[in-house]
Amino acid sequence: MLTSSFSRAGILMLIIVLAFFVGWEIHLRNKGIKIAYDDGESLWADKRAMVYEAADKATVFIGSSRNKFDLDIATWQKLTGDHAIQLAIEGNSPLPVLADLAADENFKGKLVIDVTEGLFFSTSPKNIAEPSKRVAYYKKRTPAQRFSFLVNHQLENGLVFLNKDHLSLNALLEEIPIPRRKGVFALPNGCPMDFNPCNFERQCIMTDRFEKDTTIQKQVTGLWDFYRSVSKDPPANAAKTDSMIAIIHKDIDKIKARGGKVIFVRSPSSGPYWEGEQRGFPRALYWEKILATTGVNGIHFKDYPAIDHFICPEFSHLKQSDAIVYTQNLAKILEQEKGWKFAKSPITSN
Amino acid sequence: MVFNSYTFMVFFAVMLFLHNLPLPWKVKKINLLIASYIFYAAWNPPFILLLWLATIVDYFVGRRLYTEPNKHKRKLLLIISLIGNLGMLVFFKYGTFLLENFTHLVNAMGMHYQPAKPNIILPAGISFYTFTTLCYTIDMYKRRSEPIRSLLDFSLFVTFFPHLVAGPIVRPPQLVPQFESPRTANHKQLMQGLLLVSLGLFMKVVLADSMLAEPANTVFNSKEALNGLDAWMGVLAFSGQIFFDFAGYSTCAIGVAACLGFVLPENFLYPYAATGFSDFWRRWHITLSAWLRDYLYIPLGGNRKGAFRTYINLMITMLLGGLWHGANWTFVVWGALHGFYLMAEKFIQDLKPKYALQENTVLETPIAMSGIAAPRFLKTLPSSNFLYALFTFFLVNVTWVFFRAPDFTSAWRMLASMFGAVHNGAVLLSNLSIIKVCIITVGMLATHWYMRNRRVLGVAEKLPWWVLGLIWSAMLILLILSQESSSTFIYFQF
Repeated sequence: MLTSSFSRAGILMLIIVLAFFVGWEIHLRNKGIKIAYDDGESLWADKRAMVYEAADKATVFIGSSRNKFDLDIATWQKLTGDHAIQLAIEGNSPLPVLADLAADENFKGKLVIDVTEGLFFSTSPKNIAEPSKRVAYYKKRTPAQRFSFLVNHQLENGLVFLNKDHLSLNALLEEIPIPRRKGVFALPNGCPMDFNPCNFERQCIMTDRFEKDTTIQKQVTGLWDFYRSVSKDPPANAAKTDSMIAIIHKDIDKIKARGGKVIFVRSPSSGPYWEGEQRGFPRALYWEKILATTGVNGIHFKDYPAIDHFICPEFSHLKQSDAIVYTQNLAKILEQEKGWKFAKSPITSN
Repeated sequence: MVFNSYTFMVFFAVMLFLHNLPLPWKVKKINLLIASYIFYAAWNPPFILLLWLATIVDYFVGRRLYTEPNKHKRKLLLIISLIGNLGMLVFFKYGTFLLENFTHLVNAMGMHYQPAKPNIILPAGISFYTFTTLCYTIDMYKRRSEPIRSLLDFSLFVTFFPHLVAGPIVRPPQLVPQFESPRTANHKQLMQGLLLVSLGLFMKVVLADSMLAEPANTVFNSKEALNGLDAWMGVLAFSGQIFFDFAGYSTCAIGVAACLGFVLPENFLYPYAATGFSDFWRRWHITLSAWLRDYLYIPLGGNRKGAFRTYINLMITMLLGGLWHGANWTFVVWGALHGFYLMAEKFIQDLKPKYALQENTVLETPIAMSGIAAPRFLKTLPSSNFLYALFTFFLVNVTWVFFRAPDFTSAWRMLASMFGAVHNGAVLLSNLSIIKVCIITVGMLATHWYMRNRRVLGVAEKLPWWVLGLIWSAMLILLILSQESSSTFIYFQF
C-alpha cells in the first residue's frame, strides 16, 4: 500500500507523463510526421569514425547541404557496394573537415568534395565555426558520450517527437507569434520541418508535402533571399581565393600521398540560384581554377547531359526522385570516366 | 559522465538494482567504488590514475599524521601531502595561467620570452576532490577526528560518484560514518531522491540550458557594446543560468545519494533571497564557503585578531575563493568584489553597534564566512528585508559580469552597457528571449523569497499528493520536451 504522498505523487506523475507522450506521439504521427534524427555533432562524429574503412569498400563525402540532399545513399550503396560516409555539413564550408582528414594519417580512402562556391570560397569565420566544432567534438568525445549516442539512436528509431530542430521545447516556443524586436537578427520564418528531415545516414530527404506545396517551397527560397540580403562576407578577392586554393592543394596532396583518391563535384542548382552563382562565382575563376591548381578531377553537373537538367524545388537541392537519378549517373561517371573502382560496378549493377 | 545524459540514466538504474540486491554490505561498497571509478573514467579514463594517486597518498599520509608523535615529522608529512594535492591542482588548473603571467612579466621587464603554449587538459572535478582529500589530511594533522580505518571506506569517501566531480564538498564525519553500516533507501527516501533528481535535472536542462544559456551566451559573446536592456537581460540570464546549473547539479547529487540511502549536505539554500553578502555565502555553494571558512579564514586568524585583520582575512579568503573558480584574473576580481562587499557589511556593523546583528535563527548550522549578518535596521520589516534582498541580488549581478566575461575588456564593456554609458548599443535579444529571462528571473526571485526559510522536501510533503504529482509531471514533461542532453555543467570546469 502506498502510504507516502511521494509514492502516490510518483505514480500520478508516471501516468500523466506516459499519457502525455503517448498522446503527443500519436498526434504527430497522425499529422504525417516521420522519424528524423538529430543531425548534431554526435551523429557527425559517429560517421567521422567510419572513414578508416577499407578504401575499396567506402567513399567519404564532404561539402555542404547539396551533398546531403543530392546523394541518395541507398542508391549509391546498392550500385557501388561501397559504404557512403556522409560528412557534409549544411550551410558551412567543408574546408575544416578536409584539413582534419588530411591531417589524419590513417585516412587513405576515397573522398568526394562537394563545391558550393558561396560556402566553399567563403571568407566568413561563421562558415567554418560549426565544422571546426564538430571536428573538435569528434576528437574529444568521451566514452560516456558515445554510449549516450547509442541509447539516443535507439530512442530516435522509434519516437517521432524526438526532433530537436522542430519539436523541442524551444522550437515549439518559437512558433508563438510574438512580434519581432526591431533591429534583432532573426530568420524570417525558420526552416520548415518538411524541407530537411535527416535519416541516420545523414541524408536529407524532402517530404512529399514539400515537393508538392509551393508555399512551403517559397518559405525556403525566402530564406535563401534573406541569407543573401544579410550576408556581410567580404567578397573573396583573387589573392584570398588563391591562398585558400593553395591550402586545399596541400591538404589534397597529403591524402593522395597516402594512396587516397579525391574528386571535386559541383552538384546541381537551378533557376535564379544557379544564375546568381554563375554571376558571383564565374566558373573560370573558381571551378576551373581549383581543378587546374590542385590537379584533381572534377565533375560539374553542367558538363553531363544526364545530370544537367534537374529543377530543384527551392533552386538549390534535389528532390529524392531526382537524387536517385543523379546518384546513379554520378557513380557511373566516376567509374567510366574518372577510373574509380568500387566493390561492385555501377554500370553492371544498374 | 554527467547526470543529464542517457549514459547516466542506464548507469544509475544498474546501480540502484545492484545496491538493492541481498548482498553483503562490503560487496555493495565495492560495487559503489567500482561504479564511482567507472563514472569518472567515462569522461577521460587516464585521469583516474590521478584519483588513485590522491586516494592512496592521502590515506597512508593521513594515518601517519594522526599516529606520528614527532612534531617535525608530522609537519613534514603535512607538507608532503599539501604539495602532492595542491601541486596537482596547480599544475593542471593553473599551469597555463601561471606561465602566461610569467611570460607577461618577463616581457614587461624587457626580456623577450615566448614559451610554447602548453596543452594541459583539466581533469574533471580536480578542484572538488582535492578539497575533499585536503580537509581529511588537515583534520588528521590537527587530530580533529579519528583516521578512517579501511582503505575501502576512504576510497569511497573520496570517490563516491554523486559528489565526486562537482560536490557538494563533503567532510569525513559527514559521509564516512554512513559507510559503516548497511544502507539502502526505503520507499519514501527513494521517491524523495527521485523527486530531487527530477528537480535538479529540470533546473539544469530546462531552465539553465534550454531557456537561459542562449540569451546569456549571445550577450556575453558579443564583441560590441550593447543596448542597456540587452546587457541587463544577459546578466540576469547568466545569474539564473549559473544558479540553476550548479544548484541543479547539487540537487541531483543529493537526490542520487538519497536513492542509494545516503545523505549529502545541502549546497544551496535559495541564495537570491539573501539579505547581505554574509547571508549570500550561507546560501551559495555552502560546502565551499564552509571549507574556506574552516581551512583558510579561521587559520588566518578569522575575526579573532582585531577589525583590521578581519578585513584582510576576509579579502584573502575571497580572493583565493575567486581563484579557485578559475585560472583567470576576472575570477580574482569577482572574489575581490565579494570580499569588498563582506568588508563593507562588517564595517557598517562595527561602525554602528546599535545596529546589532540579527542572528539567523532558521539555518541550523550558521556557516557564514565571518559570522556577520545583515545590520538589523535593514531587517526589521519584511518589506525592507525584501528590498535588501533585491539590493543584494543587484550587487551579485554586478559581480557575475566579471565571473562570466572572458576578459576585462568584455567585462568593462558590459558594465558600461548596463549602466547607461553606451548610446545606440547593439540590439541582440529577441522578444521571446527577453520574455523568457523576465519570467524565469521573477519566478526565481519569488521562489527564493518564499523558500528562504523552508526546505524543498518539507514543502513537497505538505502539498496534497495530487498537486505534487502534477508539478512533478510538468517538470518531467518539460525536461523530456527540451531534448537538451549531455551538455556539461558549468562547474565541471572549476
